[in-house]
Amino acid sequence: MSAAASPEPQDAVVAVKQETPFARFVSEYCESPVAVVSFIAVVLIVGVALLAPWISPQNPYDLAQLDIMDGRLAPGATSMDGMVFWLGTDDQGRDMLSGIMYGLRISLGVGVGSAAIACVIGTALGLIAAFAGGKVDTSLMRLVDLQLSFPAILVALMILAILGKGVMNVMLALVIVEWARFARTARSAALVEARREYMEAAQCLALPKWRLVFRHMLPNCMPPIIVIGTILVARAITLEATLSFLGLGVPITEPSLGLLIANGYQYMLSGKYWISFYPGIALLVTIMAINLVGDQLRDVLNPRLKR
Amino acid sequence: MGKTRKSAHLAWLAAGGLALAGAVAGPAVGQTLTLAVAASPTSLDPHYHNLAPNNSLADHIFGALVEMDANTRPEPGLALSWKPISDLVWELKLRPGVKFHDGSAFTAEDIAYTLARVPTVKNSPGSFLLYTRGVTKVEVVDPLTVRLTTGAVTPLLPIDLSQVAILPHGLGPEPTSESFNALKSTIGTGPYRVTAYNSGDRVELARNDAYWGEKPHWEKVHYRMIPNDSARTSALLAGDVDFIEAVPTSDLSTLRKDKRVALAEAVSLRFAYLFFDRTRDGGGMPFVSGPDGEALAKNPLADVRVRRALSMAINRAAIVDRVMEGAAVATGQFLAKGSTSYVDDLAPPAYDPEAARKLLAEAGYPRGFRITLQGPNDRYVNDEKVIQAVGQMWTRIGLQTKVDAITWPSFIGRASKQEFSAFFVAWGVSSGEASNPLRALIHTFDASRGFGSANRARYSNPALDAVIERGMAITDDAAREVVLKQATRMAMEDVAMITLYQQKNIWGMKPDLRYVARADEATHAFAVYPAK
Repeated sequence: MSAAASPEPQDAVVAVKQETPFARFVSEYCESPVAVVSFIAVVLIVGVALLAPWISPQNPYDLAQLDIMDGRLAPGATSMDGMVFWLGTDDQGRDMLSGIMYGLRISLGVGVGSAAIACVIGTALGLIAAFAGGKVDTSLMRLVDLQLSFPAILVALMILAILGKGVMNVMLALVIVEWARFARTARSAALVEARREYMEAAQCLALPKWRLVFRHMLPNCMPPIIVIGTILVARAITLEATLSFLGLGVPITEPSLGLLIANGYQYMLSGKYWISFYPGIALLVTIMAINLVGDQLRDVLNPRLKR
Repeated sequence: MGKTRKSAHLAWLAAGGLALAGAVAGPAVGQTLTLAVAASPTSLDPHYHNLAPNNSLADHIFGALVEMDANTRPEPGLALSWKPISDLVWELKLRPGVKFHDGSAFTAEDIAYTLARVPTVKNSPGSFLLYTRGVTKVEVVDPLTVRLTTGAVTPLLPIDLSQVAILPHGLGPEPTSESFNALKSTIGTGPYRVTAYNSGDRVELARNDAYWGEKPHWEKVHYRMIPNDSARTSALLAGDVDFIEAVPTSDLSTLRKDKRVALAEAVSLRFAYLFFDRTRDGGGMPFVSGPDGEALAKNPLADVRVRRALSMAINRAAIVDRVMEGAAVATGQFLAKGSTSYVDDLAPPAYDPEAARKLLAEAGYPRGFRITLQGPNDRYVNDEKVIQAVGQMWTRIGLQTKVDAITWPSFIGRASKQEFSAFFVAWGVSSGEASNPLRALIHTFDASRGFGSANRARYSNPALDAVIERGMAITDDAAREVVLKQATRMAMEDVAMITLYQQKNIWGMKPDLRYVARADEATHAFAVYPAK
């Protein structure tokens, strides 16, 4: 987006002297070089994750491609059949580079997937609470309070203890943990919007309620939801990594970043740093980039922060 | 350069230390040993929970009639001798002049008292009853002679008795486990007394100078519990503790080269094996299906050729070398070389993936089948890594193998309900000879007679059962060993289970200490000596 969009605002300025809202958004976003770099990093990471099956040197989830005789090789070592392990191998002889690429796939998939589902559910409930008010609002918000009063990791651990391991179960746990924040954000945004004139105007037209809420109110509530969404994607990735690190997330033969780190953790003392170190770096960069993008989005989308 | 200066400094310190030790003289003046164990004892009551960490600590405080040496061969403890005077009656001569920590003399009354107390322990998570159940009558002949009558022929009675800590009858009726934890009833004949107990953290021990046996070197022992593997190793490297048990295999390659640490290792009595469910030989296996995921009409694992192929597919040497870091010995039977009833010519099955493939095809599975191998991920050394490695090796011979590792409580619960098709477990041979695994793992499951108690695969071979039962009834050690060897060979030829390796127990210590490494996992402060 940034690379393609940077010439766009200038064109717009020169040609029409009046920016479209999107062009203005892009130019404001690009004011921070850090945010631009972060955005490029996010695009690259997503690209690597999506293309992992085609660009990774090895399928780290196929047991037939692993050989424990290649286990714990240092970065740059060569396997017996001539393959080079640029980032070394873990204890099962899994190429760390491929492991990280596939691990990113799981981390991002789980993070984005769960945040998206939580966003849909949470936003819908938040809007309903704001629009309906009264008992519906009170009961939904008390439920949200209850949910937010538990540490997220505790709730996720309980859910996984009941449901058992697996990527789908981790997603479900993350959705259950995260929906409340979306609901709270959507409700507060909707309460503000509900008192605006355009809403009164829309009500005067006797439009059906669902149309009022989802066609008129929702689009105007989107900016804070988008911001909280990016932050919660990063949070979901961290939570998934934590759960996998604790051995509750993904199956051992299909490690995500958290499990790769856990596998290498016990070798740290032995100087075999690469098993934990590189997945850790990948996780750190991913979460930091997403958070920085989210921060800049918040600054751009929040009119109160405008100079 | 800095290094040279530092080592010179160290040498000076060491020399000074030696001179000082020489000057003060006298063996063990104020000598203190700080050791760290991996697992916390659940109680100080020696009859509460039959668990390795509890028993290991109890060995310091209490004594048993029979002691096990480092190679788990029985030797005299509180009993000087034992012999069967008929098929069902044993006579034990007790050691004279032994005193409990409270000063009371040890007599035959204490045997009767102890054997009567074991069944009364409340809420025991793992009862010692299995060692005392065989004894139906205790007869005190004189203060130093006791006769035990058993309900059936029990050739292993001395070994069973080595597991039971003797308490003084002066403790009165049914001392509670709580009174042991409060140090009120913690009175034994062992080389150490407890001076403080902080559950899950540490036990403080002081030497019992009235101990009948060899006097331990250490006057005081700080017995600490550090369950986290890297924390334990770090504590040793930092000098916080002098001695640790269960050195993690991931650190072995580094520690072997580290001059700050000395290691002691012994091949243990714990062997790792794969077990195959046999309750569904006619189909309906939960984790086995055809190469395209279709249900199979019969269990491929019921065919001995398939089991043999699965065993040949496993490169045991690679597992020992790469996964266990050399802290294991590849095996094709229950016990390690040198143990009673070890079969000399029963080598670990050779690694031969080509032959394994052929054997699979011959058994009617040229395209293999799908199988899930299950195991615990938090119970045994490297458990989940080993099953992944086995998964790799089975995949190589054409089986589509999935690997699933879950936490121990849930794993063992499901394994005991026959919910798996193939699973990984390890078994500690508490008696040190083959009758224990043969009886508990291989014999057809029969709860009423106490056979096959851990035969979670429900393997059953009547011909083998007959041999095992014949062996169990022989009191003569040499004659029994011949039959046990025969039974071991039959079980291995039928691939009742795939034995993988025997674990090694590894202790780490400061370089100026040495330890008599034991085949059982016990960590004994009194077996730690200054290196000569």
